[in-house]
Amino acid sequence: MTDVAAQNRLRQSSQSTNALILSMSILFAALVWLLTDHGNWLRYYPENWEWNIASKITQAIKYLVNDAAINGITLSEVTRSFADVLEIPMLALQGILSEGFTFYHANGEITFIPSMPWPAVVFGLTVFAWWAGGRRVAAVSFITLTYFLIFDLWEPAMLTLSSVVIAVLVSFVLGLLLGVWGYRSARANAVLVPVYDVMQTIPTFSYLVPVLLLFGFNPVAAMIATVIYAMPPMARVTTLALQRVPTNISDFGTMGGCNRRQKMWLVMVPAARQNLLIGLNQVIMLTFAMVIIASVIGAGGLGGKVYQGLKSLKIGDAVEAGIAITLLAIALDQISRAIAVRRPNHVHGNAKSFWERHVLVAATLVFTLAACFLTWVFPALQTYPDRLTISTGSFWNDGILWISDTFYPQIKAVRETLIGYVMRPVKTFLLSVPWTGFVAVVSAVSFIIGGTRLALMSLGLLCFIAITGYWEGAMVSLYLVGLSVIVTLILALPIGVWAGLNDTADRIVTPVIDTLQTMPSFVYLIPVVMLVGVGEFAGLIAIVAYSLPPGIRYAKQGIRNIAASSVEVADMSGCTARQKLWHVQLPLALPDFMLGINQTIMFAFSMLVITALVGTRGLEHDTLVAISKVQPGEGIIAGLGIAFLSIITDRLIGQAGRNMQHRVKRNIR
Amino acid sequence: MTPHPSTTDREALIECCSVWKLYGDRAEALAARYGQNISTEILKETGTISAARDVTFDVRKGEIFVIMGLSGSGKSTILRCMTGLIEPTLGSLKVAGTDLKTASYEEMIEIRRHKMGMVFQDFALLPHLTVLDNIAFPLRVQGISKTLRHSKAREMMDLVGLSGRGNHWPHELSGGQQQRVGIARSLMTEPEIWFLDEPFSALDPIIRTEMQNEFLRLQNLLQKSIVFVTHDFDEAVRLADRIAIMEGGCVVQIGTPEELITRPATPYVTEFTKNIPRSKVVRVRTVMGPANKGLLIEPVSADALVGDIAQRVLSYRDPVPVTDEDGQIIGTIDAPKVAAVLMNKEAET
Repeated sequence: MTDVAAQNRLRQSSQSTNALILSMSILFAALVWLLTDHGNWLRYYPENWEWNIASKITQAIKYLVNDAAINGITLSEVTRSFADVLEIPMLALQGILSEGFTFYHANGEITFIPSMPWPAVVFGLTVFAWWAGGRRVAAVSFITLTYFLIFDLWEPAMLTLSSVVIAVLVSFVLGLLLGVWGYRSARANAVLVPVYDVMQTIPTFSYLVPVLLLFGFNPVAAMIATVIYAMPPMARVTTLALQRVPTNISDFGTMGGCNRRQKMWLVMVPAARQNLLIGLNQVIMLTFAMVIIASVIGAGGLGGKVYQGLKSLKIGDAVEAGIAITLLAIALDQISRAIAVRRPNHVHGNAKSFWERHVLVAATLVFTLAACFLTWVFPALQTYPDRLTISTGSFWNDGILWISDTFYPQIKAVRETLIGYVMRPVKTFLLSVPWTGFVAVVSAVSFIIGGTRLALMSLGLLCFIAITGYWEGAMVSLYLVGLSVIVTLILALPIGVWAGLNDTADRIVTPVIDTLQTMPSFVYLIPVVMLVGVGEFAGLIAIVAYSLPPGIRYAKQGIRNIAASSVEVADMSGCTARQKLWHVQLPLALPDFMLGINQTIMFAFSMLVITALVGTRGLEHDTLVAISKVQPGEGIIAGLGIAFLSIITDRLIGQAGRNMQHRVKRNIR
Repeated sequence: MTPHPSTTDREALIECCSVWKLYGDRAEALAARYGQNISTEILKETGTISAARDVTFDVRKGEIFVIMGLSGSGKSTILRCMTGLIEPTLGSLKVAGTDLKTASYEEMIEIRRHKMGMVFQDFALLPHLTVLDNIAFPLRVQGISKTLRHSKAREMMDLVGLSGRGNHWPHELSGGQQQRVGIARSLMTEPEIWFLDEPFSALDPIIRTEMQNEFLRLQNLLQKSIVFVTHDFDEAVRLADRIAIMEGGCVVQIGTPEELITRPATPYVTEFTKNIPRSKVVRVRTVMGPANKGLLIEPVSADALVGDIAQRVLSYRDPVPVTDEDGQIIGTIDAPKVAAVLMNKEAET
């Protein structure tokens, strides 16, 4: 009894301390705001106190890459020859699929070996899809490939396919090896995990510049940037998957007399293969997310088409190529997912002869040979004739013109209202809040949620942003992300709850968000820019569109995950549907909602970076500018600013969610 | 069915001597400081958990040694110490003449490749291999050619009743069939010592009985030395030559099923034994009275189970003579004694 009372007293006293700390920090912020003038260091971080680390990093990297030489070989020469090696498999694949091979002989002769005829490529890939996932997946692949042909995107699509395949393979193998290392050595894992954290939160534009300097402006450099982006999740998944192999299987490996290497590669990795293949699927999706971004440093292919289209406002071209990327992403997603869930059946293994077992390979070979012979008679089989291609570019352009003409007043009204009454005031407010006051309030909130450690982390990371001179950019980024998240949640939570409660709604909502999530983030920009033009409003809409699916998904899961018995208790106590929702379902779903909010924010941050391309002005803008000016230091520091903002919000929301979960559990007990 | 419990004089294949396994931050330091004298108080103070405490026993050649205990009693810990999967904190372990503490990594691999076989609770089949390849796996890691290992695996499949299933995948088989694969695989290397870690716990009762019979049939054929871990006392009684009962990391009692039932060492053991039909465990020798010359009724064997001869004894009014292996009359057994056993009452010896 006394124990409980003492605990309660303790909790109350800590609650009052918390309230005191929070109100003190708010009071401090308000006082600084009201009492100091513009020149005061408490209000704005003085420019001459800034630490010029960004430009120093730029100088250092440029020196390292171009001037520092060992035995007369500079670093960039080493890295570029490395890139040349990586280029070989990519060119080989591209040659087979669409380009053919050209050899220049010393005597000036040129030999040309043509690529596989396009009907053979279509046949082979469709058959492969059929083998992996049956009729439906095969149909998706066939439609995708036909789309490339009809819209005259065959060559860029094959370039994208080749670089995606090579990037995925490299990421997969590298991630697998790193993951195995992390599993074997706890010490290695302790180093690797924080590195993955930073690699995954830092905006991609930040490392595009160093990659650009080291590897040049070409598809291989883009591929390397893609690997940096897509590899960490694979490594993480591998370590986790190996840790989740049942101990019995691992013990069997030992008892079966395996040595270390046999145990890893004959027992552990195969036993974890299902989860590893899910990792592969993730790698594919992340690689596609980079297809357009990487075109900033010369990826070419479909991504390049979209990027060019956006830059020159040829919306039609961008739409066509964007749809092509989405189709390719969906096709590869479905194929890899189908392979991941494949379970062999003993009936398959019974066929005896080699050709019987590999009937599909044989058929493809025969078909290819036949097609090759036929190309002598019908050259159209080698190169898809231009006469048969169509372009809908003008259709999209006209359509957009029509929509924006017809609905101009409505769009304008919404846009101006939002900008005038919501966006601009919030932005002005955040920009005029004294930086010291902001840091104080955020640190106080961190302390209340997560204690001293979290408070010190927030304090340190925010001060880093201020000291390096990126405070204003950070506030602009924060304003855009914050508003987008609020709008997203206002939309996502009700839709998610509705889908959670109602099966019919679920049948409509879930396929839509599934499709939205397979689309590369870049694609979201296209229709938005078409309708509302460039600017922060377009950025806001794009972020909302991109972060909506995870928000809806978690809200739905939250409602669905509630134990059936809890709902039955509510029913049997005579609750009305409304009472059940408010008193049972929503409170119990709260931890999942918090997880959803967290995911929404993370998605918003990753989309924020991309919105720089449509003219937003925060830190993301700085990272993009750094690319065009080739300033790796500025790119990295501004990128770290975004990473830090997202890390702070992630830890705060995550901890708050865990606190809430504890409370729910305590109440139940 | 139950084999004759007279393995006392055979040589020991596993010698488990004062084995401790401690878990906790300070486990190693405590072991170094106190050695075998660690007291419960010290363990409690330092928050150290003892999964096994001062465990000593021998496993003899050709016997079925069952370690029985509830979850958390330390039975799996001891099994894993014997297989070298975990290292004991204190004490020594000799398996087939090798001291596990000093054995090198290569030596351990050799022992596991040739002297030990192990069957796991949830089968631990490799999901990416067919039944045939699963069974052949232990030979594969030894670098034996595919034809040879497959032909041996097929023989093994016939032995355990899996003929014709070689091309199936593990997930296509029922639980009982999967464990047959596990058993076949563990026997592929013709091990001297066969470890079974709750092999039938995941199976339905009827399948479990079927598998127990199958196990006894195989043992009659192969005569391995067996360490069998279970939490099911009925199963222990059915299969064991000797049982070690564990509680809280300690061995409470070691003995034949009959010894445990007729002379339980602690109330904890009594709890398990009291629901076991004594007629299926108690032998005539245990309950017989003094020899009485001049009886003409055909005698019963001293080593027969009371349950097996009950009907015969009950059909006579007079006591029935009891003979030993050599046919010498060494005692008598009468209806009241048999009835007492059948009614599960303590025998007044």
